[in-house]
Amino acid sequence: MNIHWADRVSDDWPEVRAELERGFEMSRAAAQRGESFVYVVNTNDLLGRGGVGDAMVATGLLSAARTAALEGWAKGWTVNVIAWDGEEGQRDLAATWAERMLDSGGVTGELIRVGSGHIGKALP
Amino acid sequence: MKGTIVVTGAARGIGRAITERLTTGGPFTVVAADISPELASIEGNVVQVETDLTTEAGLASLVEAVVGTGSELIGLVNNAGITRDSRLVNMSVKDFKSVLDVNLGVSYRLSKELAPLMSDGGSIVNIASRAYLGNFGQFNYSMSKGGVVGLTRSMALSLAPHLRVNAIAPGLIGTEMAMAIPEDVLTKMVSAIPLDRMGTPGEIADVAWFLLTPLSSYITGEVIVVGGGRSLS
Repeated sequence: MNIHWADRVSDDWPEVRAELERGFEMSRAAAQRGESFVYVVNTNDLLGRGGVGDAMVATGLLSAARTAALEGWAKGWTVNVIAWDGEEGQRDLAATWAERMLDSGGVTGELIRVGSGHIGKALP
Repeated sequence: MKGTIVVTGAARGIGRAITERLTTGGPFTVVAADISPELASIEGNVVQVETDLTTEAGLASLVEAVVGTGSELIGLVNNAGITRDSRLVNMSVKDFKSVLDVNLGVSYRLSKELAPLMSDGGSIVNIASRAYLGNFGQFNYSMSKGGVVGLTRSMALSLAPHLRVNAIAPGLIGTEMAMAIPEDVLTKMVSAIPLDRMGTPGEIADVAWFLLTPLSSYITGEVIVVGGGRSLS
């Protein structure tokens, strides 16, 4: 399935780049097949409240998703991002939304937030 | 307010405009870094460091130059950046990595090296791009600049209250990078900008000045989009 769950990384640049490259490889392969894909990131990382490495990965994937969504629109595939609070009880919910967004019915380039961690915060 | 400010990617375009704004506008020593020898033509109170910041040796030479100024380090402008555009389906791993390494890796690694040397009240300004909101044909660039936004937010939290960290997201600016765009494409891009023109490097330098000085003393972790209203149209 074309769902990329962002892995936790340390604050070492090679590890950050490797995780972003993993997202790139999945994305390019899906795009070449003309298939939709989804990234799943942690809301705290997106907000910058986790480690700096994790923050760079989460926001990097969000921006990449927006660009890929522009490229995929005319070709009929979509790209979306699910953000969740990282609480174990939410994992299944995040997975459900990720699978749902593989067949998004025309929704693309969106950030869907599961949980409440984002409320009251400025999003990137 | 006086001290040393580091500017990367200082030889041309936005980096050069920021360097010149700092050297003419205040009692600053600017440590200006770039891989290009055009750096040598910058005048004023400037220490030029011609180096490749993607290497450990390059980073070390810049840190050494900063320490060598003997004055307080009060600012860092992470501006060095490149593009290697293509659609995602055609993008090579090499082009992906090189853009990530320069645009995000250098900003991160340099910030990590220099933040401990900065004096209280110092300011880090990261030059992101409006492309962090998405831009056709720039998967690698967009990802790198999105990463810069995350870097900004995370470091703003971890370095507060001692240092401030903010980002500027320029839109279409009249630099060599923009001039490389085919004329018909450029015309179309400008027509989508409500202010009906490209920005100038000096207009980004003005915002950098604002973020580097106490004018912005209560602002941290923010991204200021300077794009002539393009994000609305």
